[in-house]
Amino acid sequence: MTNVKDSLAGQLTRSGRKIKNMEKKGARKKVSVQQVYNAVLEMDDELVVKAVKAEIDNGTDPSVILNEGLISAMDEIGKRFSEGTVFVPEMMMAAEAMKAGVAELKPLMQDIDTKSSGTIVIGTVKDDLHDIGKNLVAMMLESGGFNVIDLGVDVETEKFLEAAKDNNADIICMSALLTTTMPAMKEVVEAIKEAGLDFKTMVGGAPVTQEFADQIGATGYSADAPGAVEKARELIG
Amino acid sequence: MSIQSIESNYCGGHQTAQFKLLSEQQCEKIVGAALEILERTGVDINCEEALSLLKKAGCYVDGKRVRIPSHLIKWALNTAPSRIVLANRKGERKLFLEGHNSYFGAGPTCPNFIDAETGERRKARKQDVVNTAIVADKLPNIDFVMSLSMISDQTPELADVHEIHAMLQNTTKPLAGWAFNAEGMQDIIDMCTVVAGSLEELQRNPFIVLYSEPTSPLTHSEQALKKLLLTAENRIPVVYSPGMIIGGTAPVTLAGAVAVGVADNLTGLLLTQLKSEGAPFIGATQGGPMDMATMQHCYGSPECLLQQTISTDIYRYLKLPIWGTAGVTDSKVVDQQAAIDASIQILVGALSGAHLIHDVGFIDLGMTGSLEQMVMCDEIIGYVRRFIYGLEISDETLALDVVDQVGPGGNFLGTKHTFKNFKERVWKPSLFDRRSYDQWAADGCKTMGQRVHEKVKQILNEHKPEPLPEDVVKQLDAIVERAETRVKK
Repeated sequence: MTNVKDSLAGQLTRSGRKIKNMEKKGARKKVSVQQVYNAVLEMDDELVVKAVKAEIDNGTDPSVILNEGLISAMDEIGKRFSEGTVFVPEMMMAAEAMKAGVAELKPLMQDIDTKSSGTIVIGTVKDDLHDIGKNLVAMMLESGGFNVIDLGVDVETEKFLEAAKDNNADIICMSALLTTTMPAMKEVVEAIKEAGLDFKTMVGGAPVTQEFADQIGATGYSADAPGAVEKARELIG
Repeated sequence: MSIQSIESNYCGGHQTAQFKLLSEQQCEKIVGAALEILERTGVDINCEEALSLLKKAGCYVDGKRVRIPSHLIKWALNTAPSRIVLANRKGERKLFLEGHNSYFGAGPTCPNFIDAETGERRKARKQDVVNTAIVADKLPNIDFVMSLSMISDQTPELADVHEIHAMLQNTTKPLAGWAFNAEGMQDIIDMCTVVAGSLEELQRNPFIVLYSEPTSPLTHSEQALKKLLLTAENRIPVVYSPGMIIGGTAPVTLAGAVAVGVADNLTGLLLTQLKSEGAPFIGATQGGPMDMATMQHCYGSPECLLQQTISTDIYRYLKLPIWGTAGVTDSKVVDQQAAIDASIQILVGALSGAHLIHDVGFIDLGMTGSLEQMVMCDEIIGYVRRFIYGLEISDETLALDVVDQVGPGGNFLGTKHTFKNFKERVWKPSLFDRRSYDQWAADGCKTMGQRVHEKVKQILNEHKPEPLPEDVVKQLDAIVERAETRVKK
């Protein structure tokens, strides 16, 4: 019994420790705002806020703190997730930590011409209320510097199009968890074509595949959230 | 051999294998948590009719958020039947959802299918549903039939209707059906009514269970509720099963996950009883852990087994018929992983005694249907059933006279007692190899996988299910036609 308990306890704490160990061992990217970057990788919001404040006090350019510190660290988290060394709850904690840092920067950023990487409209398709995957992708896109308009769940085709027009969006991202709601993605892609609009489309969700994306004529597909960031960057160019 | 009469554990000399994880007090605690969730947090109800039923019953309605007082759930638990009997297509009462009786059947809505001829993974077709029904009809341990498919070679919006159309004509076993929406579900009810002769006949001896599901956590979509209310109105047994992804759509800790699932399921129970008091309802919460690297829901996991067991214990405590899951693997092919998953799930499912255990034949995280997986599971279920059946302790089984007659150094092979009993007492496999090495080698050194494959082909070639009368088939065709016309508008 003792052995079982020990090994269970080991498993339960391993993931937390693993990150820190990996951190110590792992080759850390050298950036000018190292403390901010590191704090995001530590997934510690208080540490991020502290580090961001310190950089602000040092007079560091807020856009450098944002791009080289916060966004660059989230890219690294995304990479590690894709490699299988960082897990979803950790990725979400890192994004929360990053957001806390962004909040500190916001008052300073208004004066600076911050060019977002692009505007993305996102939602789950008609009749699909499952939004975990969609939320994760939205969060990672935001963390990647995109301007994200989240339409929520059960989004009608027209609403996708309207929101994209109103916000001058580059990409419409659609998510579905149910095999029974996937056909709604095709509707959106076709409605864009019919309306003669040129929004790019990205699709994702557990049952969605590259094959399906090609079949319905979607511009892009990603199997995971960090992949969606890469794909969106590629599509917007 | 079906797993019945297990109640006799307590009243006769028959000892069967059973397993229970939770005590009554622990069940009460988790159910109490579910009731607290309904009173404190509430559920989102996205359907006008459902909202008005709940409001009229005395729930606290704030927009679409509904908080449900515990006494209403208690009332609904009392009015819903504690047992359901499913008939076959001919109206013969076959599956008794009560006690520890466990029945196994396939699952729904796999977009892909393993081609029975080529072994290729491709989009599911209507012929796959026909084949699933034929194979399930033949297999002795598959008790009810689902489509293992979400077909894409017919009008896509009518995949649900076409699948029932195919199943009704290719098996007499009880069915479980899914639907995109209430219109499709009405078509399905209409088809079953035609087969039964009348709606009343279908209600008296239902041979179909219908399926709808809330969106975990605590969200109920308009279509899910419309389907649910339609089943209650027609008094057809319904499964309203939250498909939780533990750690994602439910707490990562099992007690909390099951409490959330039970809260969602009991919301469905209450609505069926408000719509039509006494409507048959099957208790269900389904869920496996989220794999935190891939975000996939994992069927092949100890947590999934625990979730199943806890859920079964709780619905038995609540005295509702119980829905379960087994015979499904995350593996992409019917391989060793698939056999391990299926064996453990089927054993645990039967030990804890859920009544309708579905998803037999799922592979690829439930994204692909496989007749080979179903045929392999049939063998496993037979194996498990013999184990569950246990033993009877009586003068006949103690066989003291036979022991005395054979005496020291003798053997029992030639006794009348062995002759009389061996067929019933010793499980005879249909796919396991127990020959000598040489015999096996001379027969082509076939693996279990190859033998399973051959059996699928053999059944498809040879088995001819009992057909429906021609005029009934015509009426079914007409209902499908009607549906086609509706969706073309």
